[in-house]
Amino acid sequence: MAHAESTAHAQHSHPILSEVNPVEIPRAVLIENKRDFAWITEKICGIIEGKTPTWWWVLFIAACFVASFTVAGITYLVSTGVGVWGHANPVNWAWDIVNLVFWIGIGHAGTLLSAILCLLRQKWRTSINRAAEAMTIFAVVCAGIFPVFHVGRVWFAWYLFPIPNSNAIWQNFRSPLEWDVFAVSTYGTVSVLFWFVGLVPDLATLRDRFANAGNKLRARLYGFFALGWRGSNRHWSNYEMAYLILAGISTPLVLSVHTIVSFDFAVSLLPGWHTTIFPPYFVAGAIFSGFGMVLTLMLPLRAIYKLEDLITQYHIDCMCKITLATGTMVGYAYGMEFFIAWYGANPYEGFAFINRAFGHYAWAYWIMIACNVVTPQFFWFKAVRQNTALVWILSIFVNVGMWFERFVIIVTSLARDFLPSSWGYYSPSIVEIFTFFGTFGVFSVLFLLFIRFLPIMPMAELKAVSPQADPHAGHDHH
Amino acid sequence: MSTHASSPSAPAPGKALLVGIAGIAVSLLGLFVHGAEKFATSWLIGMTFWVAVALGVLFLVMIHHIFDAGWSVMLRRQYEHWLSSFTWLALLFVPLLVIAWTHPTLLWSWMDPHYDLAAHGGHGTVGDDVLWSKKSGFLNRNFFTGFTLVSFAAWIGLAAIFRRNSFTQDGDGDAKWTLSSRKWAAGGIPLAAITLSGCIILWVKSTEYHWFSTMYAVWFFANCMRVGLSLGLILMVWLWCRGDFKGLLNDNHMHSIGQLMFAFTVFWAYVTFSQYFLIWNANVPEETFWYNIRETGDWFYVGMTLLFGHFFLPFLTLIHYPVKVNKKLMPYIAFFIASIVLLDICYNVMPSQKVASGDPLPFLQGGLIWTIAAVIGIGGICVWAYLRSFATTKLIPIRDPRIGECLTYHQGHAD
Repeated sequence: MAHAESTAHAQHSHPILSEVNPVEIPRAVLIENKRDFAWITEKICGIIEGKTPTWWWVLFIAACFVASFTVAGITYLVSTGVGVWGHANPVNWAWDIVNLVFWIGIGHAGTLLSAILCLLRQKWRTSINRAAEAMTIFAVVCAGIFPVFHVGRVWFAWYLFPIPNSNAIWQNFRSPLEWDVFAVSTYGTVSVLFWFVGLVPDLATLRDRFANAGNKLRARLYGFFALGWRGSNRHWSNYEMAYLILAGISTPLVLSVHTIVSFDFAVSLLPGWHTTIFPPYFVAGAIFSGFGMVLTLMLPLRAIYKLEDLITQYHIDCMCKITLATGTMVGYAYGMEFFIAWYGANPYEGFAFINRAFGHYAWAYWIMIACNVVTPQFFWFKAVRQNTALVWILSIFVNVGMWFERFVIIVTSLARDFLPSSWGYYSPSIVEIFTFFGTFGVFSVLFLLFIRFLPIMPMAELKAVSPQADPHAGHDHH
Repeated sequence: MSTHASSPSAPAPGKALLVGIAGIAVSLLGLFVHGAEKFATSWLIGMTFWVAVALGVLFLVMIHHIFDAGWSVMLRRQYEHWLSSFTWLALLFVPLLVIAWTHPTLLWSWMDPHYDLAAHGGHGTVGDDVLWSKKSGFLNRNFFTGFTLVSFAAWIGLAAIFRRNSFTQDGDGDAKWTLSSRKWAAGGIPLAAITLSGCIILWVKSTEYHWFSTMYAVWFFANCMRVGLSLGLILMVWLWCRGDFKGLLNDNHMHSIGQLMFAFTVFWAYVTFSQYFLIWNANVPEETFWYNIRETGDWFYVGMTLLFGHFFLPFLTLIHYPVKVNKKLMPYIAFFIASIVLLDICYNVMPSQKVASGDPLPFLQGGLIWTIAAVIGIGGICVWAYLRSFATTKLIPIRDPRIGECLTYHQGHAD
């Protein structure tokens, strides 16, 4: 077929085309078992329209319970003061910034899938981008909790923004923490916009289906957010252009957010923090952790909702390979940091890295190495990638490892600073543990609501890559 | 095996060889006119530039394979021809190894522990310098030689595998060659990344052995990719102008190459800015001195040229679709980018050479002619190697599994 295709266009114009005879290595199909448009619509909408499953309620209640830990933690913090956290000289930054960077990093896979892979015309993204984008937004919500509440008197958090006020307080624009405010808020805003724009055609589908089923309330709600979508040529044309523009805007954003987060540390003089490779290393790490979380979330969803025809082995392969690639990049950065700490011959820098690997926090360092460098190497093997349960377990290791990466970077450098007399050992307080643990509940509550009320996959985009959309479907020759 | 029977006759490689030999001869003349130091500097710049080209090409071939790309199959064939230059580059590196073992201080003062640092405003000898002795396990002549040889062996080996797999498939049409290339590419990328990093630190960064930056190898990688893409575009348009690619190369191929050129323009700027910004902001003398000497004399203007020529100008031109598909304009932009990459390498190498006053060697000086000659000479040999290979195979990989997609490539295609 490919031979015929290749020659049909320009056989008359170039004689070599008559010699073209490609060997057959078929491309993986993105939707298996030749599922058609109707099947896709029924499958995705059925998740929302059907009765709420028992497991959903169990998980939702459990997630709400876990989320209450965050509420308890920050309530106690606000009512008492930031002294309830375990911070003390010399470790004045710890779980708050670790958790901020961890959650922001998680969000990166969503933007990568929706924006960068869109620009690269990688069609396999369509099965997972919606859930990954939702994950981005929920992760940003969890991330935002920490910088907002670490100020203690949270009602003054608005001082972070350059709004004229009676106290004549003006922000320090030379501080990367101030850049974070703009980077993260812009990232959050654009991510929401991007997610919402992608949802519009699918919301209209739900509106029409609920209207036909006589559910007026839900039809109106979905209809409100569908913005009057009728699926006309003009609507599609505008939609495609808006989506492409947002992809173009999001691409530099996904790089800039974690670059600026890396600047939080790299602009300092602290050994272990001040290193020039931090920006791309943080971005690679963020994508790595994001894909870890995408696998953690999507594999159970695939099994529960029997979505094997939409999230195929090929999709899992692609995600595993991206995890492998970015994990190896992170490993390269760890190696380069260690090497240059030695090569630079700066005794403080050298000590910081030796201390990471063999000091009081060595346990954290080796967890990080095992999870972030060793674990993804298993994805070299096809047998591992095809074992869904094993992939899911490895993805958990990735999540754990990336949390420890931030912990190692932040805490080990601070705990052993330039002044040995002030060296200390940081341990989190129960309030910090509560607050962080609870964010998994916050994230889960939001994600469960998402899968219950919104289409977890972009139906319109899936249809575009389905066999039915292929004008040559079912014909080997044309 | 018929090769170019269906297209204009294969270009004769003889002229390129003549240009190469002439360039090398002129470069050698510099040895007698301006002395060994200028020659050594020129040769290092020339070698670094053409190795960057070849490494960029190698990375692009490997990236093509692991992504199972369809649109770039025709381009990949030209890259496979270019990969034959690695063998000759290894041979052309011999003068630098000879310099390392006979007159090491011409380029790498750390190779001679007795070298008097007072000549460049320091104290004592290299052997007394704690900043060298701490890293002497890496910065020593044996490791330099060994790592360089291993790296060239790895690059030549990888190049040979990708060339064999692709060229053999033209004849037997066996899918195993594609699958083999895919596996070798997956393993080859980490291998190439490690060897690239080590070589650029040993060859170039160590010319200022006190200085360090974890980003350095990433900076070089960005330049490799930019110059590799530029070469690819020039080759594609050249073949189109000759008539070989008439009816094969379409606007979408041009657009995709242009998009990658644009993406790596941004990537280079991102990496270079990050390195500069973090060093400037921290303002630690052990790091800032490297940039400080590049803000003196005419190096300041070279720095500004890099800022505008390596980023703003390509960024503002390549962002437009009509530019990316313009077969007349794009080769000029590609040539410009390649020239600026060369300038970037000069910016990294030349200021570490000092004049009698201890100031960095200026950019505009008589010795620049030998640098240009070395670049032309080594480049001539690389072009010769490409043309020799070009004549031996089919114009396009006729049995490649994705050649059909490539020939009918349009923007709706996913791959």
